[in-house]
Order: sequence, then structure tokens, then C-alpha cells
Amino acid sequence: MSSDHHAHNPGFISKYVFSVDHKVIGVQYTITSLLFLFFGFTLMMIMRWQLAYPGESIPLVGGWLGQYLVDNNGVLLPEGYNALGAMHGTIMVFLGVVPLAVGGFGNYVMPLQIGAPDMAFPKLNMASYWVYFLGGVTMLSSFFVPGGAANSGWTAYPPLSDIANTVGTHPFWNGQTIWLLAMVLLITSSLLGSVNFIVTIVHLRVKGLTMFRLPFFVWAQFVTSFLLLLAFPPLEAAGVLQLMDRVFDTSFFIPSGLVVSGVVQDQYSGGGSPLLWQHLFWFLAHPEVYVLILPAIGIVGEIIANNTRRPLWGYKTLVYSVIFLGFMSFVVWAHHMFLTGMGTKMSTFFQTTTMIISIPSVVILTAMLLSLWQASIRFTVPMLFALSFLPMFAIGGLTGLPLGLSAADIQLHDTYYVIGHFHYVVAPGTIMALLGGIYFWFPKVTGRKMSTMLGHLHFWPSFIFMNTIFFPMFMVGLAGVSRRLWDQTEYVQGVDVQSWVRMSSWGAWGLGLAQLPFIINFFYSAFAGKKVGANPWNATTLEWAAPSPPPHGNFAEVPVAYRGPYEYSVPDAKEDFHPQHVPDSQVV
Amino acid sequence: MIASSFWLPPDISTHGSTIDLIIEYVHWFMAALFVVWGAYFLYCLVRFREGANPQATYRDTKAKPSKVAEVVVIIVEAILLVGFSIPVWAYYRSEPPGADKNPLVVRVVAQQFAWNIHYPGPDGKFGKSKPELVDESLNPIGLVDGEEDANAADDYVSVNIFHMPKDRDVLVRLSSKDVIHSFAVPLLRVKQDAIPGMEIPIWFKAEKTNEDAQEIMKRSFDLPASPEGDDAETFVKENRLRVTMAKYGSIETGSTISMEDLKTLSDANVTSIEMAPGYPVNIQCAQLCGLGHYRMKGQMKIYEPADYEEWVSTRDDDEFFDEDEFDDE
Ligand code: HEM
Ligand SMILES: [Cu+2]
Ligand SMILES: [Cu+2]
Repeated sequence: MSSDHHAHNPGFISKYVFSVDHKVIGVQYTITSLLFLFFGFTLMMIMRWQLAYPGESIPLVGGWLGQYLVDNNGVLLPEGYNALGAMHGTIMVFLGVVPLAVGGFGNYVMPLQIGAPDMAFPKLNMASYWVYFLGGVTMLSSFFVPGGAANSGWTAYPPLSDIANTVGTHPFWNGQTIWLLAMVLLITSSLLGSVNFIVTIVHLRVKGLTMFRLPFFVWAQFVTSFLLLLAFPPLEAAGVLQLMDRVFDTSFFIPSGLVVSGVVQDQYSGGGSPLLWQHLFWFLAHPEVYVLILPAIGIVGEIIANNTRRPLWGYKTLVYSVIFLGFMSFVVWAHHMFLTGMGTKMSTFFQTTTMIISIPSVVILTAMLLSLWQASIRFTVPMLFALSFLPMFAIGGLTGLPLGLSAADIQLHDTYYVIGHFHYVVAPGTIMALLGGIYFWFPKVTGRKMSTMLGHLHFWPSFIFMNTIFFPMFMVGLAGVSRRLWDQTEYVQGVDVQSWVRMSSWGAWGLGLAQLPFIINFFYSAFAGKKVGANPWNATTLEWAAPSPPPHGNFAEVPVAYRGPYEYSVPDAKEDFHPQHVPDSQVV
Repeated sequence: MIASSFWLPPDISTHGSTIDLIIEYVHWFMAALFVVWGAYFLYCLVRFREGANPQATYRDTKAKPSKVAEVVVIIVEAILLVGFSIPVWAYYRSEPPGADKNPLVVRVVAQQFAWNIHYPGPDGKFGKSKPELVDESLNPIGLVDGEEDANAADDYVSVNIFHMPKDRDVLVRLSSKDVIHSFAVPLLRVKQDAIPGMEIPIWFKAEKTNEDAQEIMKRSFDLPASPEGDDAETFVKENRLRVTMAKYGSIETGSTISMEDLKTLSDANVTSIEMAPGYPVNIQCAQLCGLGHYRMKGQMKIYEPADYEEWVSTRDDDEFFDEDEFDDE
């Protein structure tokens, strides 16, 4: 446990690099994942050029991208497009959002919110970060091996992924094989993390902090950890099987009689099932969607309670909804597979579960909206981000309905409609919430506040560009343009929607620019921002009882929780907030 | 039906209108919810901003949110599900047209990056195929010869062009010889993954021919002000997949427009022309299948029934391809 570190002064390396302190690890996760997010986004900014101006040389960076991505004129190659697309998806999900939401926010905030001195297993925590780091480096290294990075989509469907990156490449150090190795590392990291989170939340809550006094964010992390723990192992197994197929020519996912480019694939014995992979993959990847969104909802809940100055509406209902979402997320996975030859019984089951899972999402959104009623809303920068989350998450959630109805999905499946739908959840939704979370907890981490002016300069353009990027995708998708196309103008309907496509692209580049104020704000404020005390937002939860920044071991004295998490504007009180750790005698 | 305002392509199938209806209803439902939520949301932001309401009202955390939204959502979703989606799916997936309907049965074998359409010929029986016989240019599906399997003798394989009559059920047995593809025909509201090692049946029926579809999709295009220069080149490039729907001077109906044509049209003082897609009914691949995924496209040729019979009787059964009919650009 961490207590043995209190006695001596650790050196730089063990304090900031191989640290076991959950706060340092949280910051490491945050910085690393922000870099990955920006990198994954840059890949997309490059791809958006090819979509907006098919076949034209990429400006600025075209000459630098190397032979696996671009031709001699700096025009993105089709296989380069596929590689960037696969890496964008993989990086955003597994190296960006999840590590930021869980590894970053979860690690830093959750132990503080439950009054714990650290995670239950600090060394495991450190291992989790470093395995993630190694996974990330491994993933990135694939850009440099012969043949370039994986190009079979982030879903890596076999047989394509089994036979991809095999011609003219190293038998082992090639894109798809490295992708699989990196995935195994990333999954391992998540498993280590999730066990740690669960044990910490169950065992290290301070006195008085019952489960129903936990901040909503902790509940979100709790359910998320169970999802990670239960959903990831099947994918880890599947990843290993695909690795076997690729390296040792086994046939887990290879059916008999494959002929690729005129060559009979008789190195495989055949008899495997490509659909087996899809089931294993989506058994993870649907719960994964909730891993991407639940921590964000948790953050939004914290920010809204604080900035409306009143308790979250229906706290218990929110908690039950999140738990129910967690359970249901394990029985909807095959809605991604309606078009793989599914009969009526199966499709009825999976569309029904999908419709059912939309109910708790509606409940959560409704509760958040009702929290605004009779509030006293402070439009702080974190609150702007949290508020913007609500309508955009609503769009993301609602557009899931036609995709969940298998008949409508016939037309919409694998089109840009899907891209629009899930990005409204994970980009205008989750990313905006995570950014809001950074503004919200920055004072706790650094002891300084971020600039409000730069915050506004960051928020407004980001909010606008998020919509100009993703809203047009619904029209493009309805028009029947498939996703993952290097050049949609091969089709008449793609030509017809080209102005929408350009709008998306310009939005993406605008969004890139709009991050400059944030980057400046982040570094400037970390060193020269306005200094603040322990509780600059007049908040109630326990992390604000610790000094800013909290020392090793977190709390000067171990707090006790006397009440629920959001006791704002209690009638007849001295102040409009009752922190959880202050006894009744001192607040009323 | 106002599907066109939902940006959907025209629908020429018999089952598609229900799909479009579902899409339309769901979107109205979504829009209604969004507007109600949004109006309430904006109202709160204004009415309960700190300046207007400095003191929030405490409500204890046991309060339960109102059930109205959930109940409405549950009811509407149940209607969409039971009333529309499940029945359409049942038609689409579980009731293949029986022999009484005399469906046209065709095998489609997808490959990187083409669609092989395999017709059984007059005997109505498909010949066997074997992986080791596959020859990418002469025998893409590895069909055995007529001596080994009499059923194969009259079989016909067309690459990337799917000939079919309107008003007749078509039953496709869909498979792939390499990776997973997805057979998508937006105008027919059809999409189905083609998975190696599996043969998945799908069925549909067209109500309209290619010509009908072109009639629906034809639009008037303003010609660029000058027949030369960037605008003109962009015009030609952007419309390379479209053909004229009327005769303009020496330019025949059904021509693609070239730079020269622009000159001719400009000389004749024509300022706008009617065009429609040359091949209105695209088959496209909807599942990432490798570097050529974006160009894995085929075309439907949907005929009047008599014209289809005509095509059947005139096609050259010894030839596997009618490649010349497929004009990519
Ligand atoms: C914020 C800026 C973002 C932009 C502009 C963007 C844009 C796009 C676009 C245009 C595609 C479709 C490419 C294609 O079909 O060819 C795509 C795919 C994808 N994106 Fe994003 N995205 C963003 C953020 C995110 C985030 C935050 C996540 C995840 C948490 C994410 C996950 C994915 C995934 C999983 C795919 C599918 C990749 C594949 O087809 O293999 N994206 N993105
Ligand atoms: Cu899902
Ligand atoms: Cu394909």
C-alpha cells in the first residue's frame, strides 16, 4: 500500500515517472491520452482532405507522410486512407477516450471523491498505465514497418484482417499483427485498471460514505469498470485467435475454399467462422460504447449539480439507470450484425433489447434536464461544456433509434449516418464532457484556475464546428453513401452530397484550430493561472475537501461523509452548499 | 410520403416504401422529442440563469423524475417495433418467394473488387464451382465445365452487371470468395453482407426499370458560363456519371458530356440541360474489403419483362463476360 512512501522523499523518477500515486498516474494518463486524441484527430484532418477534394495533393503535410500513405504527388492512397481510418478509430477509442475518461479522470478524481488516500493497489495502477503506454507505442510503431499500419478498420473483421498486411511485409512486424499485439496490451491494461477501481470503490470509501452517498461520477466509474472487466476478456481471446490465424495459419476465422486474388488459400485448413470474430468483437464493443459515454455522463452530472446550485434531480433513478444500462449493454451486441444473415427471431430479440436500452438513456437525459428547473445556473466554462453535451448527446442517442430498428437499418447500415450517429455520442458528446471536466478539475490538480476568456474562445468555436462536422453526415448517409470510402464521388449520390462533405471537412479543420486556445490555456494556466484555494467552485463532494493540489496521501485529515453528494441550496443554511465532510453543527 | 425531403434516394422496390416510412416516422418522432427537450432546455437556461434566479430551490434527492417522457418513448418505440420493423424484417428475411412466384434465382459471388452474377441458364440449375478452377480473367467463380457437370453447360456469368426484369421476384444467393463484402443497392433498399463460407439468400422485387429510375432522377443542370476553364472542367468531371435525357442539337440522348460537347452546347446557346445518372441503380460494397473497397461497384439493369427475355435469348452463352457493357467512367 501507499503508506510506506510517506516516510521518505522519493526521487524525481519514482515521484513523476514510475509513480504509484493515483494523482500522478491520473495526470500521466490525462496527458498521454490527450496527445493520442490530438494525434487521432490529426489523422482524420488528413483524411478529410481526400474526401473534400478527392485525388488532390494534401497541402502542408502531403510530402511528409511516406510511401505507405501517399503517392509521389502527396495524394492519399486508398490503402493509406484505410490505414488512417483504422488507426483513427482505434486510437480515438482505445488510446484516447477510454484512457482519458477512466485512466485520467477516474484515477485522479474517484479516490479523492471517496476520501481514499490512494487506489487499493497502487502498483497495479502503475502497471496499468505503463502497459497502456507500451500498447500505445506499439500501436504507433506500426506506421513505420514495411506495409504501414493496420488497414482493416478498427473492427478488424476477418478474413480481411487475417490476410491484410501480408504481402511484401515482415511475417511478424506488420501492421495488423502489431495492431493485435497492441490491442492485447491495451486490453490487459484496462483489465488491471478495472479490478483496481472496483476494489477501491468497494473498500476504500471513508466512514459515512454509503453507496447512495457516492457522487454520481463514482457510480459511473463503478459501472464502467464492470463493463471493462466483463467485456474485454472475450476480445482479448479473439485477438489472440486472430494472431494465431495470422502468424501460424490456423483457421479460427477462415472458412474453407477462400480464393484471394486468384490464389487458393490452401495454407489454411479452413472450416472457421468469420462471424465468430464479429460476435466476440461486438460483445466487447457494444459495452465499450457505454465505457466511452458513462464517465462523460458522470462528469456532466458533477458539473451540472455544482453549477445549478441544487441537487441532481432523481439521483437514485440516475444510479439505477446507469446500472441497468450496464446490464443491458451486454445483450444488444448483435444489432451491429443485423445484415449478416440474421433471421426474424434473432433480429426481433436484438431490436427489442436495443429499444429497451434506449429507455434508461432517455431517463438519464431527462433527469439532467429536469435538474435545470428552478436552478440558479452559473455559466462557467465547465458548465458551458456540460450544457452543450445535453443536446448533442440527445442527437447521438436519438439517431441510434433508426439504426436499432433492423428494417430501417437495412438502408442506413454502414453509411455515413452511422458515423454521424456514434460521433454525436463520442465526439460532441463525450469529448465535450471530458473537456468540461478538465476545466472543472484543473484547479484541484494544479491549484490554479484556467482562463475564462480563453475558455470561451475554445468553447464556442468547438461547439459550432462539432455540429458542422457531424450534422451533414446524416444527410450524406441518408443519401446512401457508404462509410470507409476513399472517394465517394465514384457514385452519383456521393457527387450530389459533395458540398455537405466539404462542410464536414472544413468543420474538422476549424475544430483543429479551435483547440489552440485550449492548448495555450492549459500550459499557461498550469504555470501562471490564478491561484485558488481548496474549493474554488463552492462544491460539495469530497475531492474539494483536500488541498489544491492534494499532497501525497490526499487529505490533511481523513474526512467523514455526513450527507449525500449534492446538498446545494438547503433552506435556512448559511451558505448555498453543504460539503459532504462538514458536520451539521457547522453548516446550519 | 415526403422521403425525398429526408435525402433518401428514390425507391424502386416493392418493399422499400415501408422502410422509408419507418425512417420518416422515426425522424419525426426524434424531431418532436428534440424540439420539446430543446425548448424546455433553452427556457431553463434563460429563466433560471443566475441573474434571473439568484437562489436555487432545494429539492431533496429522493424526488423522482416525471415519467411522461419515458412512457411516450416506450409507446412510440413499441409501435415502431411491432407495427413496422418486425414485419418488414419478416418479409425481408424469412419468407423467400416460393416456386409459385417463379422467382429469378441468381447467385452473386463477391470478390475483391467485383460482383460476379451467376445465372443458372435455361435449365434453372447452377453448375458446381471449385476454388482451384478460379481464373481471375476467364473464370472468376471457378465454374466447372459442361462435361463435368451438365448443369454448368448453360450457365452464364456476368461481372458487375446484374440484369433483371421488373415485377418479378428475384432471389439472390449471396456469397463471397475472399473477404466479407456487403451487397448494397440503395435504390432497391437492399443491403446484405456477403460472407465467405456462407450462402445467404435475399430477395426483392423491382417496380421500375432503369429508364423509369432515370426519369425520376433527372434534373436540370445549368451549364457553366464559359465552355472552357476550371468551371467547365469541374462540370464535366462532376457529371461524368450522368447522361443527357434529351437530344440537344447533335448531342444524342444518353450521352455523357465532354468538354467538346460543352462547346457545341454553348455555340447553340443552350444554357441548361437535363441529365440523369447513366446507371441509376448502383450496386455498391458497404463493407470495408480492402484498398479497392471504394470502387467495388456494380450496376443493376432492370428491364421490362419482355426486354429481359430478349436479353436472355441474345446473350452469348459461351462468353462469361459482358464487360464491354460495363462502362466504369
Ligand atoms: C472530434 C473529431 C472527430 C472527427 C472529425 C472524426 C471523423 C470521423 C470520420 C469522418 C470517420 C469516417 C471515416 C470513413 O468512414 O471513411 C470516422 C470514423 C471513426 N471514428 Fe471518428 N472523428 C472524430 C472523433 C472521434 C472520437 C472521439 C472517436 C471515439 C471515441 C472516434 C471514433 C471513430 C471510429 C471508431 C471510427 C470508425 C473507424 C473505422 O471505420 O474503422 N472518432 N471519424
Ligand atoms: Cu452497439
Ligand atoms: Cu467489397
